[in-house]
Amino acid sequence: MRIHSITLTNFRQFSGMQTFELQSNSLKPVSLIFGANGAGKTTLLNAFTWALYGTMSEDVEEQDRMVTDSVWRALPIGGSTEVAVELRFDHEGYDYRLRRHAEARKQSDEQQKPSAEVQLWQTMADGSSETITAPQERIYSILPSRVSRFFFFNGERIEKLVQKGAYSEVQQDIKALLDLEQVERAIDHLPKVDRRLTADLKKHGGERASEIQTAIDDLRDRQTSSRDELKVLEGDLATLAEERDSVVELLRQHAGAAPIQKERDRVATDLADARTQRAAAILERASLVATRGFLAFTDELATKTAEMAAALYQKGALPAPLKREFVDQLLEDGQCICGTQLDDGTQAWHQVTEWRQRAGLQMVETAWQQLSGQITQLSGARQELHDSLQAAVKRISTERERVTRLEETMSELDGQLNDPRREDVQQLESKRRDLEARIGVKRERRGAVRAALEQIQREIEQKTAERSKAEVKDELAAKARARSDLVQSVRRALEEILAIRKEEMRDRLDAKLKDVFGKITIKPYIPRLSKDFELALYQDVNGVELAVPKSTGENQILSLSFVAAVSELAREIRAERRAEGEPPDDAGTYPIVMDAAFGSLDQNYQREVSRVLAQMAPQLVVFVSKSQGLGHVVGELTPYVSHLGVIVTHTTSTSDASEDIELEGVAYPYIRSLAEADHAELKVIK
Amino acid sequence: MMADKRTERDVLQELTADEQQLLKRVLEIERAKLHVKAADLTDDLLTAVRAILP
Repeated sequence: MRIHSITLTNFRQFSGMQTFELQSNSLKPVSLIFGANGAGKTTLLNAFTWALYGTMSEDVEEQDRMVTDSVWRALPIGGSTEVAVELRFDHEGYDYRLRRHAEARKQSDEQQKPSAEVQLWQTMADGSSETITAPQERIYSILPSRVSRFFFFNGERIEKLVQKGAYSEVQQDIKALLDLEQVERAIDHLPKVDRRLTADLKKHGGERASEIQTAIDDLRDRQTSSRDELKVLEGDLATLAEERDSVVELLRQHAGAAPIQKERDRVATDLADARTQRAAAILERASLVATRGFLAFTDELATKTAEMAAALYQKGALPAPLKREFVDQLLEDGQCICGTQLDDGTQAWHQVTEWRQRAGLQMVETAWQQLSGQITQLSGARQELHDSLQAAVKRISTERERVTRLEETMSELDGQLNDPRREDVQQLESKRRDLEARIGVKRERRGAVRAALEQIQREIEQKTAERSKAEVKDELAAKARARSDLVQSVRRALEEILAIRKEEMRDRLDAKLKDVFGKITIKPYIPRLSKDFELALYQDVNGVELAVPKSTGENQILSLSFVAAVSELAREIRAERRAEGEPPDDAGTYPIVMDAAFGSLDQNYQREVSRVLAQMAPQLVVFVSKSQGLGHVVGELTPYVSHLGVIVTHTTSTSDASEDIELEGVAYPYIRSLAEADHAELKVIK
Repeated sequence: MMADKRTERDVLQELTADEQQLLKRVLEIERAKLHVKAADLTDDLLTAVRAILP
């Protein structure tokens, strides 16, 4: 299948009729179409699948709005308009024109999904055109819709192709592409044919032949039920293996949790310490306030006391036990303060004189010194209290901040550890063991069923040999026997062919995938396709092969490599002479039409992917934005480009959003604002 | 020394002309209906057998 052109009529944002030529050759297989975000690249991709299958991908929103909004708005109620996509392509020697269209009748402003019809015309060798009566059937036979995922895809979603859980579907699709599925199905269907044929043999073949045929039929029944059981077992084993793998992954994550747990333990110790330190600092502050807090209020008191004491000292009126001058004055005056005469030698005089001995200036001085000292000490103690309080407050603040920080860290670590995916390791381990045990039991049963099937097959062959020798007089029965022998021979041959093809296809696809992936990736990873076509990525670590957990980007590269490898292999094998007969020239040829293929890729990968796809795909249609496409992508693709275009965004926005795109040295409109209606224009550059 | 692997061609060459013809026809029929998962092709295949061994 090689696409020649696509024509859109009022399809989504593509108003009116717009055509883009895509016919290319093996030297220049690439068509490159630029478009801004929202311009219509995804719509254009979906135009292909809508034309082929009448479906659009899930990422297309508002799927009922098939007709361009402005066209719909301009349509009067009761009026109708056409929405259509036409594809011209050739396939296996014939040219085709495919047209899916719908007549959309306006009953309200809301669009209802119109019912579309598909038509297909085939151009014959003499140039005449023939309408295909079962167009959808023919399209499916040209490219089955499920296989189309390899050829019409959104690059940002392509990584799903190689994700776990997608294998069974992908495996079937690969088998279909690589000519394995038709062999498998033939092997399944031929026993029913044989049963119908041998009915005549049983009926008219005589006693012996009938008896042998009955035995063969019984064996066939056993064979069918054993095969069914084998299929169920294979399915169960695949499910259990997938479950086991996810448990192993959880265990790996658990191993990954060990350093988190260690960190959490350290943080927990630090947090406990910080909380203790904070409590101690708070207690210290409380103790300071309780025992020495009064000092905070002694600033004025100390000053005033000092001033007052100084004044009293100056006056000599400091309260001392007794002032000597005072006593001398009393003795000189000859009278005590109580009025008693102090005559020399009297008892009163002796008493006062005795006081004089006890009083003196020295004592006053001492009292002054004591008071001064106490006032100074008070001030110092106050300063000390201030400093101590400040230090305590600072420590409280520091410890509080530390506690908050550690609590946050702890919460973060708890979040990581409490991830629901991280189940208890013991629980996980026992689950893994249980799954391994169940897998073991199923495998044993599978082995037994396989052995039984081999035995049944031998018995069938033996009985068939006996049947050949049995005398059959009836002509109809003899014919039935000959036909049955023919069918059985073909079936045996198909079984052998299937085994040969499976092994060969796997080996070739594996080798091709390794080759393509190796050309793109800069990492030492090796992709491998298992016996059952399951894809995995490995890394050689000191001679040991370890599975690599893939990132989105790696999945995308792996998927693109896979697509390129499958595409090339499908082409190669169809070109070889096989049991199906002489192939047409373009057998197995399909275009690759892709949107946003470089979204998650670094620039170096963009370059390599562009180059590999351009070299490997027989026809490549790429939709890219300016930011994705200019630079490495254009640089790599330019030598292979036969058609270049831009989806010009016309927007009603009044802000100056207009933008140009420079291609091959010429500026072309990319976004145009102030349009009368929002729409997309498919502009052909070359 | 490893024995040569059997190929698809080897298998085909060992078949009689009728068998080769039927095998090719069976694969054509199956391939044409590959997209129909639940296709019952018994009648088509029977017709093919009867066409080869009338």
